[in-house]
Amino acid sequence: MGDNKQQAVQTSNRKGRLWIFAILFLVLLLVVALNLTLGSVRIPLKDILGTILGSPGIKDSWVYIVRSYRLPKIVTAILAGIALSASGLQMQTMFRNPLADPFILGINSGASLGVAIAIMGSTMVGGMFLPAVSSFGELGIVLAASVGSGIVMALILLAGRMVKSPTTLLILGLMFGTATGALVSLLIYFSSPEKVKAYSVWSYGAFNGVTWQQLKVMAPVIVFAIGILAFLPKGLNAMLLSEDYAKTMGLNTKRMRVLILLSASILTGTVTAFCGPIGFIGVAVPHIARNLFKTSNHKILIPAVIVIGAIVAVAADLLAQMPGSQLVLPINVVTSLFGAPFVLWVVLKQKRGGTSFNV
Amino acid sequence: MGGVEAEARWNIIQRVKRVLHTEKLEIGYENGKPARKVISRGLNLELRQGEFVCLVGPNGAGKSTLLRTLTGLLPALSGEINLDDNPISSYSRKELAHQLSVVLTTPIEVGAMTVRELVSMGRFPYTGLFDRMSDHDWQVVDEALEMVGIKDFGGRMVHKLSDGERQRVMIARALAQEPQVMVLDEPTAYLDLPGRVAVMSLLHELARDHGKTILTSTHDLDQALRIADKLWVMSLNGEISSGAPEDLALSGEFQRVFAGERVQFDAVQGHFSLKEENEGVALLEGEGLARLWTERALKRLGYRVDLDYQGKDEPLRVAVFDGGDGLHWLIATEDGHEAFASLGEMADYIKKNRVLKT
Repeated sequence: MGDNKQQAVQTSNRKGRLWIFAILFLVLLLVVALNLTLGSVRIPLKDILGTILGSPGIKDSWVYIVRSYRLPKIVTAILAGIALSASGLQMQTMFRNPLADPFILGINSGASLGVAIAIMGSTMVGGMFLPAVSSFGELGIVLAASVGSGIVMALILLAGRMVKSPTTLLILGLMFGTATGALVSLLIYFSSPEKVKAYSVWSYGAFNGVTWQQLKVMAPVIVFAIGILAFLPKGLNAMLLSEDYAKTMGLNTKRMRVLILLSASILTGTVTAFCGPIGFIGVAVPHIARNLFKTSNHKILIPAVIVIGAIVAVAADLLAQMPGSQLVLPINVVTSLFGAPFVLWVVLKQKRGGTSFNV
Repeated sequence: MGGVEAEARWNIIQRVKRVLHTEKLEIGYENGKPARKVISRGLNLELRQGEFVCLVGPNGAGKSTLLRTLTGLLPALSGEINLDDNPISSYSRKELAHQLSVVLTTPIEVGAMTVRELVSMGRFPYTGLFDRMSDHDWQVVDEALEMVGIKDFGGRMVHKLSDGERQRVMIARALAQEPQVMVLDEPTAYLDLPGRVAVMSLLHELARDHGKTILTSTHDLDQALRIADKLWVMSLNGEISSGAPEDLALSGEFQRVFAGERVQFDAVQGHFSLKEENEGVALLEGEGLARLWTERALKRLGYRVDLDYQGKDEPLRVAVFDGGDGLHWLIATEDGHEAFASLGEMADYIKKNRVLKT
């Protein structure tokens, strides 16, 4: 009797989850379609497919806008949303802290410093050691951003072993962020105006401006890092209990930590390199996923944050274009306007000041 | 056939199989301040199959360090821990997880997870890279739930359980690992009294009826004395004496280890009680329940009630009687007596006089 009931509960859960996934895919399609039609030039929804496929009778300007501007931008947004959310999820579990995310823990700042050194460092060291951005190339920026984020993440990880309180860890992250920010300011102070401009445009954050050519680098790198994550749900679940429990369940926690570090910093580094530092998606999406699916099980959460992350990023880009106006806001403005209150809400919702992942 | 089974059962009852033993084990910390802190050395401990062993000792004796070392969470400073007569260093983490599982003190903080999901984590050492659960795995999970008496809890959310229920879930998770040995660090620390009794009797049952070998540390000495097959008594200097609870009580081991704390072991009653200050002897007149509780009040105040006292010092003379309108107490004084209508008033008078005397 009890068994049957439990079985029934379980199948109904599975059905419910499939439904939620189906609805999420529809929502993703919807925001992608809206993003394709809306913007400074409105292209009717019925003509979008024709534009992409290159059917006869479609305006050339539309074809250009959709193929070389809107499509790469949407693909970038989807990749960035997936990458940031997935990296946020891993870090929340590893730090056992619902507020951990690349932005809040200062890992983005590490990436920023890496990129700042790559773009502007050549001025400081007289172009001797670091080639300028033009000769450095996209891969170079990705590398610089990944190394920068990797270093900060390793530092946070080290500190995290000594301090257990999540609040202290957040303050540490803030300090790392401030310190790297100061170094970036120093670089800016000594750099030529055009390089400073290049850096500051980058730092506003944007999904547009990434070309198909650059996507050929960005997409495989992100797919690779998500590929690592695909092997981790079991270990991440075990680490939910605690690292000690995970060890006594036979998990190699050291290797686990290295893999998470690798995957999360590649994901954060790549997105930051191509799109600039984009805040709050990483912290918010895992919470939305946990609330929606009522589970902490990473076998469900990983695909969930992938879909929701894509939706949130494409929707944020949609809002950034301020439909109906010619104005385009930096992505960071939108994510921060919505993200900061969200983080506040998470903090206030926490009972007993614990580190609980309760929904 | 039946003979073999009976023999196997007898072997478990006899606890002949040595599951875990240590040889000259030295435990403590390295790389701390000071660089090397030894908590205990030369430990030769032994766990036999189906045994329920309680590790007791004053705070700070190093109980958790010992348990962490035995479970491989902390490296031993020197010496050997053997599982089935093989050193645990020869086991991989996964192999060890097949033999040994734990329940830790720190309450877990996972929220959105069902009881069944959490208990299914116990199958991790058996499932593959992607954690696909077979029918057999689920069967083990359900058996574990049944063994700890929460069969119908499977679909409930972990964060909505009471502390006691959650501890049962953690024990079920440890059982789902199908270990030979289960090690628990203060599993009753966060529980209320009924919860503590329930968890301890559950552990006792698991050892007695399911042949599990169970080692748990506990602060609950009364319970440990009553229920454990064997006690490991760890003293502040790191020495551990092991034996049946009754033997340790008789040999005075308890009194020695817990000496100096504010409790003392009452070898007659078999439990710990407040250490009595010795205020002298009391002579008590009275009968029945009234006498019994008056005696307890006097004991609490530090008096030994003696029936045929022959000493020189003047004893405290107390009488209790029913005056028709309820109980009355009398205490003899130099010039007559003082009367009280309750034991509380009497106690206040005794305490006041004691202060005046000094």
